[in-house]
Amino acid sequence: MDYSILLAQAVLNGLVIGAMYMLMAVGFTLVFGIMRVVNFAHGEFYMLGAFTGFFTYVYWEIPFVVCLIIAASTVGILGMLVERTLIQPFRADEMSGMIATLAISVIIQNGAVLLWGPVPRAMPDIVTGTLAIGPFNFPWSRLVVIAAAALIFACFWLFMQRTRLGRAMRAVAQDTETALIQGIRVNYIYPLAFGMSVALAALAGALMGPVFSVSPFVGATPMLKAFVVVILGGLGSVPGAVVGGLMLGMIESFTATAFGSLVSDILQLLLVILILLVRPAGLLGQREA
Amino acid sequence: MRGFLKVALLSTACAALSFPAAAQTLKLGVLATLSGAGTAWGIAMQGAAELAAEDVNSKGGLEVGGKKYKVEVVAYDDHYKAADALTAFNRMVFDDNIKFVVGPLGSAPALALLPVSTENKVITMTMAFTPKALSADYKYSFRPVIPSDVFSDPQIKWVVQKLGAKRIGGLFPNDESGQQVGAANEAAYQAVGAKFVAKEFFERERVDFVPLLTRVLAQNIDAFELNGNAPQTAGLLVKQLRELGFKGPIIRTGGDATADILKVAGKEATENVYVHQPINTDAPAIQEYTRRFEAKYKMPLNAFSPFFYANVQMVFAAMQKAGTVTDSDKVREAMLGLKDFETVLGKVNWIGEAQWKSNQQLDAPFYVALLKGGAAQVVAKCTPKLCE
Amino acid sequence: MHGPRPPAIDQDEPRIAARRRWLPAAVIVTLLALALILPQLTTNQFYVHLANLMLLNSIFAISLGLIASVGQISLGHAAFVAAGAYISALAALSFKLPPLLGIVLAGLVTGLAAVALGKILLRLRGVYFVLVTFLAGQVFTLVALNWESVTHGANGLLGIPAISIFGFPLSTRLRFYYFALAAFILVITFVWALMRSQYGRAFRSIAENIRLAESSGIDVSHYQIVAFALGSGIAGAAGAATVHYIRFLSPDSFTFNDSIAYITMLVVGGRHTLIGGVLGAAFLTPLPELLRGFVGAQHIIYGAILLGVLLFIPNGLVSIGSSLWRKSSGTEEPK
Repeated sequence: MDYSILLAQAVLNGLVIGAMYMLMAVGFTLVFGIMRVVNFAHGEFYMLGAFTGFFTYVYWEIPFVVCLIIAASTVGILGMLVERTLIQPFRADEMSGMIATLAISVIIQNGAVLLWGPVPRAMPDIVTGTLAIGPFNFPWSRLVVIAAAALIFACFWLFMQRTRLGRAMRAVAQDTETALIQGIRVNYIYPLAFGMSVALAALAGALMGPVFSVSPFVGATPMLKAFVVVILGGLGSVPGAVVGGLMLGMIESFTATAFGSLVSDILQLLLVILILLVRPAGLLGQREA
Repeated sequence: MRGFLKVALLSTACAALSFPAAAQTLKLGVLATLSGAGTAWGIAMQGAAELAAEDVNSKGGLEVGGKKYKVEVVAYDDHYKAADALTAFNRMVFDDNIKFVVGPLGSAPALALLPVSTENKVITMTMAFTPKALSADYKYSFRPVIPSDVFSDPQIKWVVQKLGAKRIGGLFPNDESGQQVGAANEAAYQAVGAKFVAKEFFERERVDFVPLLTRVLAQNIDAFELNGNAPQTAGLLVKQLRELGFKGPIIRTGGDATADILKVAGKEATENVYVHQPINTDAPAIQEYTRRFEAKYKMPLNAFSPFFYANVQMVFAAMQKAGTVTDSDKVREAMLGLKDFETVLGKVNWIGEAQWKSNQQLDAPFYVALLKGGAAQVVAKCTPKLCE
Repeated sequence: MHGPRPPAIDQDEPRIAARRRWLPAAVIVTLLALALILPQLTTNQFYVHLANLMLLNSIFAISLGLIASVGQISLGHAAFVAAGAYISALAALSFKLPPLLGIVLAGLVTGLAAVALGKILLRLRGVYFVLVTFLAGQVFTLVALNWESVTHGANGLLGIPAISIFGFPLSTRLRFYYFALAAFILVITFVWALMRSQYGRAFRSIAENIRLAESSGIDVSHYQIVAFALGSGIAGAAGAATVHYIRFLSPDSFTFNDSIAYITMLVVGGRHTLIGGVLGAAFLTPLPELLRGFVGAQHIIYGAILLGVLLFIPNGLVSIGSSLWRKSSGTEEPK
């Protein structure tokens, strides 16, 4: 294998992982920006999305796009209910809210084990074959993930920029009190934002299902990575999550291809610490008031 | 202190309630991973104990010294962590007064509780591959599963000769099992003239191996070794290797992961995969056990499960021979005296004196299987010396 | 992070003052007597083991509470615990250093490391500090895992000796219990005294309003580093004590999950009082044992109980105690 192929491979892999990190991190950072809650259950919603995608695609045999919509909406609604009943009581208390999400994560993960068993399931590919451009071979299954992630993020971005609701969310993220004065009903915004955030995680889960596999434990890694990405990009910053996600994916892919996994893992963390020390608010975040 | 009192009161209450039956009950412990990613393995062990208990209970109990004992299985979760395993084990030993334990599962939990099991004369049946799990110092530590340093040599010799592979690549999990199996595998390959030209370690949480595999494949390897990777990881590796266009043979010289490899990677990707197969899936006894296990636990059988089942059967036989269900010294002696004992695995014996100075390693034939059309086919039968 | 303050002890109403003076003393003496005698009454070693874990967890929670008392929360607390454990275990294994000295050494080294680290990390405030401690903890676990020549990597350290005092080995659970109890009393008395000194007052004013504290001339970073170093040093020493009790150590022994567990104990118990962490540890350590019978569902029930406590006892278990206290001593709600 020559270097150009290695390079192309590394870029493609970086984009795939980066796309997943991005979808996870955008939702994670959204909830933090709006509600000041560090959602430790974020990974479990990813897992629920993967399972929903799996069951609808394998048993109902419906088009994958429909599966994605079902995954996003069911998990999104579940997320709204969770926010309303279990997270809202902790609005004034970040620390208790964080531990509440931890408890929710334990409940969801072990509930999934009880319901679906611990054994991983393989999801059939949505598309097969590879795209050959000259000497390069790109599996379609991975290209589809990148394209879908880009499309999903574009929809999300349009929603945040162009709709009333999206603007209201951004207003709450910037300053809750001012938003309240302007007549934005914060109590509706919170569950909506949380639902949307976990729906994005569910989409990531459903998309990655065919690439990896589906089990009750698949949420842990994307969750930790989202955490790192959000620190890198800046807490509460959506553009930061996109840049951070893609960057972390690329760093991971290139350093792992070049130096192996261990160097890659330690390097990633040290880099993020360094960035945090130089720019405490992350790459694109704003200093806390 | 309040919590402490609460536990004290509650447990006393429980003990008081169960006392009348206790005289007729024999408690068998299971200490395994029953939550998190190792759960499938833990349930394989729990299932073995429960099925063996079911056998004797359906006949009205285990008859020892003229008395009938109903076998009760007490299963505790160790979270695959040494400290949690130690706490659960303390409870088994001191609170439940259990003398016979199926487990622990991982090497770290096994090593952490060996002093306690030795001091309190508790017989353990571990899945830990670490060479330190058996020694003359640990009189009560038994191992029913065949570890990698026993099966690596004969199996690798056979596969390498058959395939003529020279350049081997592999990814190793950076944990005790990876380091353990990795070392045994590397030595075995070198002994038969093949070489690890690409060897990478990775953190357990990693799910995307493509960058690492790209790195390994760049070394033009003839065969890929899956070694001691967790079952799900092994499946992912096969899948991602094939996606990257690797068509060569893939070899699994590690614990049983066949069910997961097939499930995760699918039928097409698993052609030309050679796996270590602890059991002969064509044997009627094994097929019967598989049927029972899968009907009860609604998951594919992990091939280690029958080994624990066999060991529990041996414990029961030893109890009957020794005429006691409490004196673990006598039961131990009786169990070591069992020769060519007929189990679900076929005839088994105890070995290990030469390697660990402890004759408490179960000896049973093992197999090499080739995956074909989504199923494993046995292609060679092995002893610790030779595969053919 | 700003909840109700702990009830103020010094109020000068003479009628109840006398009662206030003897009641706490009586309670402490009774508890102490119980703690000394109870383990002698049980032959069940498992309860003693649980009590040991409870005492150790209490120390971890108190030490984290000390860091939290200046308004910072560390998500990497377990890294200091692990560092202390490795220092003492390796010193005992390689240089035959007596464990008791190892514990002191571990406390000193982790404390000093916290000073150095604090100088860098404490420039970050609030949630950014929390995040960087998380990352630092992850780095520590990775290093412990990969520095195989020293830490033996994932295989862990075996055969770590038990603590021995003048040749008397604390090798049984019961003997270690009295050692842990003494350590616990030492730590809680030290922290209690510290919180009543000028340091405690400075800590509180920083936690209440960092800007105000700064502008009124308090050297915020000095006090924050002191709290961080003391809390981390205590954690390191307690980690060392733990490892001479468990006598096995691997990178998995103390991880991010343990850091989270300490925070949970603190929050569930009540994070604004000294006794909160103790109550949290005393409640959460044995809780999984009560749920062991529900195989499969035990973690779900654990999660549900945790949520229930957070939802219905928002100020922590300590608030139940203090409301009972108020009733029994007939005082009004303290401000």
